[in-house]
Amino acid sequence: MKAVSPEPLLEVRAMGKSFPGVRALNDVSLKLEKGEVLAVLGENGAGKSTLMKILAGVQPADEGQILMAGKPVEIAGVNDALEQGIALIHQELNMATNLSVAANIFLGREPRKRGLIDEAAILEKSKKYLEMVGLEVDPQEILGTLAIGRQQLVEIAKALSVKARVLIMDEPTSSLSQRETDTLFGVIRDLRGRGVSIIYISHRLGEAKELADRVMVLRDGENAGDLAKDEINHDAMVRLMVGREISEFYSRTIHEPGEVALEVRRLRTSAHPEHELNFSLRAGEVVGMAGLVGAGRTELLAALFGVAPLRGGEISLCGAKADLQSPEDAIRGGLALVPEDRKLQGLILEMTVRQNLGLAILKQESSYGLFLNEVREGEISRKMMAQMQIKTPSSRQVVRYLSGGNQQKVVLGKWLALEPRVLLLDEPTRGIDVGAKQEIYGLMEDLAARGVAILFVSSEMEEVLRMSDRVLVMHEGRLTGELPRDRLSEEAVMQLAIGNTIAA
Amino acid sequence: MKLTTFGDIFPKLSGAQGEGVKRIFGIFLLLLVVYVATAILNPNFLGPYNQENLIRRTSLFGILGIGVALVIITGGIDLSLGSVVCLVGVGVPWLIMDKGWAPWLALTMALVVPLLIGLCHGLLVTKLKLQPFIVTLCGLLIYRGVTRGFTGDQTAGFGSELKGLRWIANGEIPLFPGFGIPFPAIILIVIALLAGIFLNRTIYGRYLLALGNNEEAARFSGINTDRMITLAYVISSGLAGLAGLLFVLDLNLAQPVDFGNFYELYAIAAAVLGGCSLRGGSGTIVGVIIGTALLRVLRNMMNMAFLGFQRAEFAVIGAVILGGVIADELAKRAVARKLSAQKDRDRGSKLERLPPD
Amino acid sequence: MKVLSSFLLSAGLAILALGLAGCGGGSDSGGGDDARYAYVTNGVDPFWTIAASGVRAAAADLQVHADVLMPAAGAVEQKSMLEDLMTRGTTGIAVSPIDSANQTDFLNQVAEQTILITQDSDAPDSNRLINIGMDNYDAGRECGKLVKEALPDGGSIMILVGRMEQDNARRRRQGVIDEVLDRSHDPNRFDPPGSQIAGEKFTILGTLTDQFDRAKAKANAEDTLARNPDISGMVGLFAYNPPLILEALEQAGRLKEVKVIAFDEADRTLQGIVDGEVYGTVVQNPFFYGYRSIEVLKAIHEGRETGADENGFINIEARKIRKDNVEEFWADLKKKLGKQ
Repeated sequence: MKAVSPEPLLEVRAMGKSFPGVRALNDVSLKLEKGEVLAVLGENGAGKSTLMKILAGVQPADEGQILMAGKPVEIAGVNDALEQGIALIHQELNMATNLSVAANIFLGREPRKRGLIDEAAILEKSKKYLEMVGLEVDPQEILGTLAIGRQQLVEIAKALSVKARVLIMDEPTSSLSQRETDTLFGVIRDLRGRGVSIIYISHRLGEAKELADRVMVLRDGENAGDLAKDEINHDAMVRLMVGREISEFYSRTIHEPGEVALEVRRLRTSAHPEHELNFSLRAGEVVGMAGLVGAGRTELLAALFGVAPLRGGEISLCGAKADLQSPEDAIRGGLALVPEDRKLQGLILEMTVRQNLGLAILKQESSYGLFLNEVREGEISRKMMAQMQIKTPSSRQVVRYLSGGNQQKVVLGKWLALEPRVLLLDEPTRGIDVGAKQEIYGLMEDLAARGVAILFVSSEMEEVLRMSDRVLVMHEGRLTGELPRDRLSEEAVMQLAIGNTIAA
Repeated sequence: MKLTTFGDIFPKLSGAQGEGVKRIFGIFLLLLVVYVATAILNPNFLGPYNQENLIRRTSLFGILGIGVALVIITGGIDLSLGSVVCLVGVGVPWLIMDKGWAPWLALTMALVVPLLIGLCHGLLVTKLKLQPFIVTLCGLLIYRGVTRGFTGDQTAGFGSELKGLRWIANGEIPLFPGFGIPFPAIILIVIALLAGIFLNRTIYGRYLLALGNNEEAARFSGINTDRMITLAYVISSGLAGLAGLLFVLDLNLAQPVDFGNFYELYAIAAAVLGGCSLRGGSGTIVGVIIGTALLRVLRNMMNMAFLGFQRAEFAVIGAVILGGVIADELAKRAVARKLSAQKDRDRGSKLERLPPD
Repeated sequence: MKVLSSFLLSAGLAILALGLAGCGGGSDSGGGDDARYAYVTNGVDPFWTIAASGVRAAAADLQVHADVLMPAAGAVEQKSMLEDLMTRGTTGIAVSPIDSANQTDFLNQVAEQTILITQDSDAPDSNRLINIGMDNYDAGRECGKLVKEALPDGGSIMILVGRMEQDNARRRRQGVIDEVLDRSHDPNRFDPPGSQIAGEKFTILGTLTDQFDRAKAKANAEDTLARNPDISGMVGLFAYNPPLILEALEQAGRLKEVKVIAFDEADRTLQGIVDGEVYGTVVQNPFFYGYRSIEVLKAIHEGRETGADENGFINIEARKIRKDNVEEFWADLKKKLGKQ
């Protein structure tokens, strides 16, 4: 930790903010020293995002004070924030992917020569900032052609180009691979060394532990407590976030797996047709699928579920060969897929909880294969809402207005209503808070106990290690190895994920 | 499946559908205002003859509106309706009167050709992934051009033939002296009931609404989205063909060059007024009919009450549609604000549901 | 997929070719002279089909080449047709201007490059050499005479017309109003379309336009009956107006009760005269519009006399068709259209 100067670089005092019907922030304070990495933690809805939006000038505060180096400042808009040197790196990247890297860095502040954009100056200056974030890329490259992680570094370079003294990063690693995450952490440490202060928001407690000089936790819009560097540990963070002890954060009861439920032979996906995949899944087994982002795991699940075409190979369900041309076929075969992006692929956001829960089972429950059976739909949605503990004021609430965790439970409930024999989960806990994660783990365990075969893709190492009976690891479209529970370790998974083989 | 009341067919809706119901109510109020205002300005407006006319016009244009509404619900658009109206409206009398076809054969063509046209639109949109706007815009040009081509641009009509068949468009079922229900209204009611049942009471209607909102999620839920979208285009073109037939049976003359011109836009306007979002995923059949009625009553109002301002007719209609859409958008925002406040409250009390240690 | 797409592509091309082949039916070629004449209408209408047959007859008789062009999409398309004709090189053009007041400058440009005459509707301020047509004001007055004959005791009438932007429509309507109200002969008078004008015996309730939308044209007739249930007569000034007035009256059960006075010679209109549902109609002579246009263009091209008056006007007189002469007229018309 840095030596504490008399006045912190950034200080927030007694910040309050209300939205119609809810108090989002109440008497929140925050201090940030020069060159400090402050991790801000909290469950969804704890007020993290609101606080950061106020600091970045996206939303005004109702009450409270912001001080920079001890002097009160007025932040009424994004430009005010930038003038104070505060820049927000958005959770979902907020750049023009159709323009070049350099054009993005100077978007809205283009240096001009005789009224026209001075392209030469833009290129020259961009190089300097790209160097600062350690990104080797041609500034003339179109941004959209870069991987997400590299795009994010461009956004950081953009923040540096406006001489940012405080960088706010909102879930920067949520869509990054492990390697990209490592690069980003290197950049963050380097920036800290240059005296840039960083506010880091994440759901991943491991990252906070690895990176932060200090942790600040928000709960229900109020300060829940701070942790100094030497106090940062997993349990302490969770305790502050949920407000009480949770021992045994997740535990698994291991069951004896049953018959083979899914068997894949010489399967070739259209994403990586050069590799043949062979594996099987048994009833009651929970198999984790690890690998870096882009290893072909999502594509494999999509191919199994009939969303993406197969290039070859065969799939057997419960010993019988299955021809899965479409999701309809897959559903008939007893498969279910909870996709990676619930808003894009999992939910009809403008429909109600009840309608979403019933969507997959409608046909099976219809009269004459044509008419809706509203009575059954109601029964099913009541049952699933109870089983999944979906928190919603009514089954007729539009799904858009549910929290991420509850939305994910709706997606799960839609499939569980069908009582699938094989459940495919793609990043089942991405972007949902600790409490909801816990519930989803519990559900996975219940299902396994009832004999459902579960294959889940996850980029969170802790999740893979704790939930899996067995782990399959993929690297660039190829299965690089399989680890039974007793040989499971972070080290082993990582070695396979980066394409190495490991000694038995 | 028993259908006993109106509410069974158009059930109490919730969520996005619930907002749709509020929209309909708003547009219905607007219709009522225009209706009452015109009646006050010219009491003849309420005469049975004028009411019959209004019902017949609303029925003919309403059939078009229902078709395009289904396509709009999928998030698509059908700009070719007017030209399909022209193709059938001109084609049927041309086949019967000029080519000497048997009426039943010409009528079969009038039903089959539009269905095939819709199938082509659907396949081009779903299989080749062309944008609906482009596909149906080309349709708009092609079908009109083809019609003008095969008829040599000649007006077609039935002369004094086929009075019996023409009854389905201009006949009426007498209720009491001086007033009868125009037969097209019966056709519209049947189509509206079928469409209402399809949209609200069958799984396929639910699929249509779902995929209009999020096609990918619908596909991931095991819905054959391509087939559903194609079906919507088939229904839309098919109803346009039916409307084209009824129009020519009513008017008894159809000219290739401009028969049905702009009708796709009236239909789209009616659907939007009636609560269909051009983004897809929402819309009701009742709303479309009320929207159509509003447009027809507005035009009638100009003739009944503002004869000297007839040239401003389009401006008035445009202003009313715009006003309706703006009012609707403002209402929707108010609802969204209320709901997102509720969401924040839900989050605030979320910890209550964590299982006890 | 590939099979499907190539199938659809070829099907589309086939349909397109079919359409184009049908559209191109307006041209006719004669021999001998390499002069090319063009006859441009103001829209697509049976009226122009008759005129086109006159053009073809003239082209055959005079051994010249003449094209008939019918703009389907209003003044904009008519302009581009004329531009294309100039680009292609045309000896002479006979045009019916859609919007004469605003097309004057453009028509002058055309007149600089080629022989320009107007037919049907005139563009009096332009440099066109000749106008062939009927004086629409006079024709309107003829129509007005029919109204007075049909309603000897007077009454209220509504005028229905496609649109009022055209010079011929405006003058025709004014002729009807002036004759019915027994006013003096003044083609430049103009009464606004919405106003109700009461005379001694007759009241003009107004003028309704439909912008060529047929459903709207019928709705106008229906709305008139709803608004003025005691109306005595309806005057339809464009060829399609009288048939739609008849449809509206038939559905309202008021055929023969409300007098219909027509313009032009739609089949339904003529049948209506035969059946006593239409009192009479004023017909132009579109066949001669077409025939004379080509004759005059050729005469100008060859430096011969055209027979126009001092204003450059060649009158093709309008005729009144009533029950007494309808059969004879209709038979002649069918002959000219080659329908027999």
